[in-house]
Amino acid sequence: MVSSRVLQLLACLASLLSAGAEDDSHLVIAPQSPVLEIGTNFTATCMIINTAEITADDLYWNLSKTTVSKEQYIKINKTALNVTIPITSEKPEWLFCLCKRVSPKVVLNNGRFIHGILLVKGYHPEKPENLSCVAVQNGTYISPSIRCEWEVVGRQTTEVPTTYTLIVRQVLSGETHYTSTPAKTAQVPLNVFPSFMLLDIWVEAHNKLGTIESEHLKKDANYFVKTNPPSDVTVISEKSFPTSLLINWAHPIASEYLRLMYQIRFCRLGSHIWNYVPLEDTSEYIQSFRLQNLRPDTVYVTQVRCKNSLKNHGFWSNWSNNATERTQEDRPRSKPDLWKIVTEDGIKFICKDPELSNGRITRFDIMIQNPKDKIKNGSSEWERIMVNRSEADSSSSHRKITLLKKIPLADKTSVKVYVTAINSVGKSDEALLVIPANANEFAPVEELMVWPHEGQLLLEWKPPTSTAVSEYVVEWVSGGQIDWQRERGSTRRTVIKGNLERFVCYNVSVYPIYSGRIGNPAHAEVFLEEGAPVRGPTVKLNGNPGRNEAKLTWEEIPQHSRRGFITNYTIFYTSGAEIHAITVPANTTSYTLTSLSANTKYDTWIKASTIRGSANGFNHSFTTLKYAPGEIEGIVVGVSLGFLFVVLMTMLICFYKKDLIKKNFWPQIPNPGESTIGNWSPDYPLKAETPKENCLSGISVLDMDICDGKCVIEEDKASLPLKKDKYLSEEHSSGIGGSSCMSSPRQSVSDSDEGGDMADTTSSTIQYSSVVASSGYKGQTPNSHPQQSIFSRSESTQPLLDSEENADMVVQDGSRQFQHFSRQPCCTHNAGNKDTTNCDDFSQLAVEQQEIPQSLDFCPLEEDNEQITPTDELSADWLPTVPVSSYMPQLGGYRPQ
Amino acid sequence: MNGHVKSMSFQQFMESATTLLSLLLIMAVDSTKTVAASRNQQCGNALLQTLKLTRLVRKESTDLIKTYKLYQGEMSDLFCEGSVNNIPDPSISGLDPSEKIVSIYTNLQMFIPHFKRVYEQQTDLQLPTSPLLTELTNVSLRSRNLALLIKTFYQSLFPNLPVPEPAGGPTTLPLPQNVFQQKVYGCVVLKTYKKFLLDVSKVLNNIKGTVCRRRIQMNALFF
Repeated sequence: MVSSRVLQLLACLASLLSAGAEDDSHLVIAPQSPVLEIGTNFTATCMIINTAEITADDLYWNLSKTTVSKEQYIKINKTALNVTIPITSEKPEWLFCLCKRVSPKVVLNNGRFIHGILLVKGYHPEKPENLSCVAVQNGTYISPSIRCEWEVVGRQTTEVPTTYTLIVRQVLSGETHYTSTPAKTAQVPLNVFPSFMLLDIWVEAHNKLGTIESEHLKKDANYFVKTNPPSDVTVISEKSFPTSLLINWAHPIASEYLRLMYQIRFCRLGSHIWNYVPLEDTSEYIQSFRLQNLRPDTVYVTQVRCKNSLKNHGFWSNWSNNATERTQEDRPRSKPDLWKIVTEDGIKFICKDPELSNGRITRFDIMIQNPKDKIKNGSSEWERIMVNRSEADSSSSHRKITLLKKIPLADKTSVKVYVTAINSVGKSDEALLVIPANANEFAPVEELMVWPHEGQLLLEWKPPTSTAVSEYVVEWVSGGQIDWQRERGSTRRTVIKGNLERFVCYNVSVYPIYSGRIGNPAHAEVFLEEGAPVRGPTVKLNGNPGRNEAKLTWEEIPQHSRRGFITNYTIFYTSGAEIHAITVPANTTSYTLTSLSANTKYDTWIKASTIRGSANGFNHSFTTLKYAPGEIEGIVVGVSLGFLFVVLMTMLICFYKKDLIKKNFWPQIPNPGESTIGNWSPDYPLKAETPKENCLSGISVLDMDICDGKCVIEEDKASLPLKKDKYLSEEHSSGIGGSSCMSSPRQSVSDSDEGGDMADTTSSTIQYSSVVASSGYKGQTPNSHPQQSIFSRSESTQPLLDSEENADMVVQDGSRQFQHFSRQPCCTHNAGNKDTTNCDDFSQLAVEQQEIPQSLDFCPLEEDNEQITPTDELSADWLPTVPVSSYMPQLGGYRPQ
Repeated sequence: MNGHVKSMSFQQFMESATTLLSLLLIMAVDSTKTVAASRNQQCGNALLQTLKLTRLVRKESTDLIKTYKLYQGEMSDLFCEGSVNNIPDPSISGLDPSEKIVSIYTNLQMFIPHFKRVYEQQTDLQLPTSPLLTELTNVSLRSRNLALLIKTFYQSLFPNLPVPEPAGGPTTLPLPQNVFQQKVYGCVVLKTYKKFLLDVSKVLNNIKGTVCRRRIQMNALFF
């Protein structure tokens, strides 16, 4: 091994020396252009030739652009330096031998002191595995080409690819055929397919790093043959054999080439489950086979394939094309499946075609036996019900349901129903169903459980303990669609075999059948698969919303939209950003929202949930009331009651205190006629004046100049209310010397302490005007002037100009005075006088009062008489003229302002 | 007493030895039977393969004659009625199986040059894509394979006998012929070959019934 390595180096060196001499390079690397196996170590030698300028100590190695560590160097001698590097990556790299710049010559001839080699890397080929070869039929021969495939093992690089050579050697002759490919499949052409000759087939994987062979396939040539499928496959249906089909076919290749065995499979049309004929029955070199124990009047699909009859030799051909044929009809071999539907007005008898109808059912014969009728009529008759089945119906696995007859539901009457099915060949056995008079006498099954499992509905129940059950009928109803299946009496657990849909609620019932008598059923509801509801319930308000509450109602989602059992409803309502949610049970259809804000718009919706998801209903908006119902009415009623109470209290007070009120508001004015003062004027008639004479229409405004002599009386008169207005505001007393009726109470108040003030007031009072009543208090007038006058005056502490500036105040007072007049017309001074005052004149007077604030104020003389005291010289000056007037001056009505 | 005991011990020893020897004998016989069956099976398999290939070549020869007639144009039946010299004798010579097998092998070797000559002649007469040429090639190649199988079978039956090569030097081929003669020649060769193959089948069937069965008997007697 070592010697061969040395020889290689020497040979390489010799060739390089000659090449180096030509290139005039002083460094040479051996070996040149190596192909290296990844994962190994590579040793290269750099030799110095044709120069003594440098030694091995001046050399160094670069792998690509990286200097190799000196630890990896081995100095062979003075002119040779080895380096050992591990080959790790797949990428090709340059390995350079370089020289340090030890002398100017080296520097100047740098290109002659460098040498490099390209390291090409790869993997050693690995043995191909799982070699398999096949020779297919071509026409009437076996193709002379053998196609093989294998699995490539190991890795390869682009620089060191692996080539696979497929070799086919004829063992006896030694004749070899081969083909090469980089792929993992190849085809070797032969001159002729060497039938019955021993072949040796293998694959060689080789690249620059080596060669390796796969396992050899040393087999008879026919071992690799894959023929065409049998041709001309035909199926024959024979009238006398309704349960059999005869299959014929042709050999795909002559028996001299290959002796074949066959395999047959068949299935019902539409089914994808194949039934295989046992190989033992078809291993012979046959061209026909009879399928038996088939169902009559059923379409079958048949296929045949073949292979070398030698065990473990050859490949199965592809399956032949479908050969389809229908078996012949036979009479129904099973009973029709009779059942009933109980409606409000009767019983419908329905049935499915017999499971083994063995042909197209053309009619049903039904006989209904009622014990009472039987007694009456003696016997019942068969009734024919013709049906028209299509070919699709008879071939379909789903048996069609036929409504046979409907009879009224009679109470406590047992009915026996017999039904037979007829096809073109014959009729079936009779099916019997007994509707008992009292179904409750037959106990139901117990502990019925229904649950979905792997796309099916499983049922489990316990049988009734009372009596033996001959069979069970499992019935499932959904949306008016009914279907059923029968189970044996020993069955405790079964699967519903009908076509069930997902997200549909099925009402499953199990009826025990007691020798044809239908027992009491047990029910259960179930979904094959639940889903989220299609939509949520539609919510609406029940009535109008309140101030803080609203009652929501909704209807249950329609059954077809539920798609599962509703687990709960979630009520959402929001008036803005915050959403409130309330979860209520599934059986709830109304809910009252409370704690709502008044006068607020709310959006609400309801989410219906199942175990699989949920769906929201539509939004409904409402606005709560600002006031609760009755709140306004309560307030109004309360206020009204309060007002009424106040009024009543006032009235009661007025009633019970009328004397006091009367005394205060309408002080008793002495009747001058009854006055003793009347006596001092004998000339004056005591007889009261006519109302006409008392009318204020005769009031006239006197000029100050004219009435100078009478102003004293006015002054006195003004002093009286001034005294009485001790508790009154200034406004009440402004400008009007207490002449209004309202001022009467003030007049009734006597306060002698006010004497000083009164003196001051009166001293400062300025009289502006006096009103003379033409006929007031005539009876009191001591003189006997035929023309009696009433003097009224206007007093004010303000100059007239000031009074005009305060017009509002004046008007206010004036209005008050008008009011006084309305209550107590000017005539009130004469209480016993029944005569009415001329209101027009009075109104006129009232208007005039606006300008003449001082109203007629007939104060009680009894009080004022004592107070009438001249307070100043002016008064005193006026006094002599007083006796002329019948008017008593009022005191103290004004305060200085 | 002691003598009686010794006698009993010896008797027991002899019984054990007899039992052991019987067991060994049964094992030996069984193993030889296995070897004999294996050899018989080998004989049967080789012969069976040879027979199958013979039937195949015969079938292909029959088809070839039909194709040949089909591609020779009018009067094709007439071509096959003629006679040609220097055609290998279809009959199989020899008395014992080894001689018959050698005769089969020799004749097969002699027919192959004739197939080659017919192929050459028909190449000039047919289009290159003619099925006749393909079938001729196939029959020729299969005949070579059949010869190899016969030889192998012979060697398996008679391993110590040399395989005889065709005697009398190379096969004599016909001299240059005209087209009619070529067509007659080709058909006669094919017909003769077919007849020969029929005889081969008969001989091999006889051998199947005699040699392979006799080998079983011989094995049984020997062991």
